[in-house]
Amino acid sequence: MLDAITGYLNSGTTPGEYGSIFWATIYILVITIGISLAVIAMNWLERKILAHMQIRLGPMRVGPHGLLQPFADALKLLIKEDIIPEEADKLVFWSAPVVVTMTAFTTFLVVPFGRTHAVTDMNIGVLFMLGISSLGVLGIIMAGWSSNSHYPLMGSLRSSAQMVSYEIAMGLAIVSAVLMTSLQTGTGTLSMIGIVEAQNAQQTWFIFKFFPLGFIAFGVFAIAMVAETNRAPFDLPEAESELVAGFHTEYSGFRWSLFFLAEYAAMLAVSSIAVTLWLGGWMRPFPNFLSGPAWETAFSFIPALALFVLAGMCLLGTVRMPKIPQMRVQTVGLGIFGTLLGLVGLVLLVPAVRERVQDIFWFVTKVAFFMYLYIWYRGTFPRYRFDQLMKVGWKVLLPIGLAVLIATAMVGLYPELAAAVVGVVQ
Amino acid sequence: MSLKPLLRKMFLVDLIKGLKVTFNYQAPSEAITEQYPLERPVIFERFRGQPRLSVNPDTGESLCIVCNLCALACPEQLIVVKGERNPVTRRKEPVAWTYDLSRCMFCGLCAEACSTDALELTQDYEMALYSREGMVLDQAALERGQEPTRYEK
Repeated sequence: MLDAITGYLNSGTTPGEYGSIFWATIYILVITIGISLAVIAMNWLERKILAHMQIRLGPMRVGPHGLLQPFADALKLLIKEDIIPEEADKLVFWSAPVVVTMTAFTTFLVVPFGRTHAVTDMNIGVLFMLGISSLGVLGIIMAGWSSNSHYPLMGSLRSSAQMVSYEIAMGLAIVSAVLMTSLQTGTGTLSMIGIVEAQNAQQTWFIFKFFPLGFIAFGVFAIAMVAETNRAPFDLPEAESELVAGFHTEYSGFRWSLFFLAEYAAMLAVSSIAVTLWLGGWMRPFPNFLSGPAWETAFSFIPALALFVLAGMCLLGTVRMPKIPQMRVQTVGLGIFGTLLGLVGLVLLVPAVRERVQDIFWFVTKVAFFMYLYIWYRGTFPRYRFDQLMKVGWKVLLPIGLAVLIATAMVGLYPELAAAVVGVVQ
Repeated sequence: MSLKPLLRKMFLVDLIKGLKVTFNYQAPSEAITEQYPLERPVIFERFRGQPRLSVNPDTGESLCIVCNLCALACPEQLIVVKGERNPVTRRKEPVAWTYDLSRCMFCGLCAEACSTDALELTQDYEMALYSREGMVLDQAALERGQEPTRYEK
C-alpha cells in the first residue's frame, strides 16, 4: 500500500502517463474540490475587492470580515425553492446548467498545475480545452431557449454571438503561441505540459518572446478571454439594466448557483490557458537568471512564507478588531483562521511537501493575478454597446491576431526566409 | 484620425488611467461605510429627532403648563393636550398627552412654540418599531424617552 503510494509519488509522472485510474480519480476529486473552493474564495474576494474599489467595505457581518458570506449564500441558494417555469421546455431547462457546469469542469482535465500535477497530458491539450469550453455556449443557448421568455433568449443570443466571434481572435492568438513552441525542436506541440516545457527549453516566457509579438498575442488573448467568459466590460449577455439577468433570468436556487459555479470555473480555465501559454505555467520566476541549488531552495520557501504573511495579516486583524462583546466570536474566528493558515504554512516547510507543492503555488499565484484582473476590470470599465463589442472583436482583435500570427511565423523562420529570398535573388 | 488619439487608443492609455483610479481607492482608509450599530453617526445639535417632554429635575413635575400652543402650532395636528388646574398650587398640569409619532414630520414647530421649553425634539433617532401602536406616545413615554426596540428573531 505504502509502496504503491510512494512508488507513484516518486515516478514523476501524471496519472495519465502512469496509467493508473485510481490516481486519476484522486486527482479529479482533488481538482474538483479545489476549483469549488477557489470559486468560493473568488466569490468573497470579488465582493470585497469590488466594494473597496467603490469605497465600500463589502460583507463584514457573516464571520470575520465576511469570510463566511459565500457559505451563507450557498446555503441560502440550496434551500431556496426550485422553480421551473410552466411554459419552459422542462428537459432542456433541466439539462442546461448541467451542460454548462460539466463543460466548465471538464476543461481542468488537462490543466497542468505542475509537471506531475495534471490529470493527464493530452497531445491535443489546448485544442481539447478550447473545444470543451466552447461547448459551454451550447448550455447557455439551451438555457435561454428553454426558458421560453424574452430576456433569457436575447441574452443567450448575445452571448452566443459574442463567444463565437471572440473565439476566432482567441484561436489566432493561441496559434501564434503554439507556433513558438515549434521553434526549438521543429515540431510544435498542443500539449499543455509540452508548451510549458518548450518555454523552459527556450529559456523565456512566450509573453517576452520576439518582444512585442508575444506580448500583443497575449494582449489579444487577455481581451478575448474576458469576452469569452461574459465578464465586465463585455457582460452584455447579463446586462442587468437591459436584460434583467440574461440567460439565467428564469433560473433560481441550486440551478442558478450551478451557472454561477460554471462561470467562475470557466474564468479559472481560460486564465490557466493564458498562464500556460504565455506566463510559463508552473515555472517559478527567473529560472534562467537565478538558477542553482541556492536559489532553488530560496524559492521553495516562498509558498510557506506567503501563507505565513497571510496568517500574520489575519492575526494582526484579530488584534485590531474592536474590543466589544458583539465582535468576540468574530475575533476568535479570525484568530482560528489565521492559525490554520499558519499551520498549513508549517506543513509546506517539510522538504518533501515543499518540493511537490512549489509548482502548484506558482501556477495558482499566476491564475490569481488574472482573477484579480477580472475583478479590477469589473470595478473600472463601463459596459460596451453591442455594436462596439462586435467592432472590437472583428475589426480590431481579428486583424491584430492575424498580423501577429504571420509576423510570428516570419520572425521564427527568419534564417530560412532570408536564405530563400537570397536564393531567389541569386 | 490624428496621431495622438490613435496612440492613446492603441496603448489603452485611458483604460489604464481608469484602472489606476480604482486601484488607489482600495485602501481601507478610503472606505466611507459606517458599521452602524458599532459605529454611530455624529448627530448635530440642531437635529430634530424623538420628541421629549422635560420635567423639573428637582421635583419631578412636568414643565408643561398646558398652554396648548404646541397643538395649535402643529401642522399635522397630532398633538392633543388635556390639563387640569391643580387646586393646591394653582398651576395647570397635563393629565393626558398624546403625540402621534407616525404622523410627525419633525418640523419642530411645536418645540419652537413651547412657552416653557418643556417640549423639545432630541437627537435620538432610533425610533423604528414593530407595530404602529407604539408610535402614539403618552405623557409617560414622552417624559421617559423611548428605548430603541431590539431586533427579535
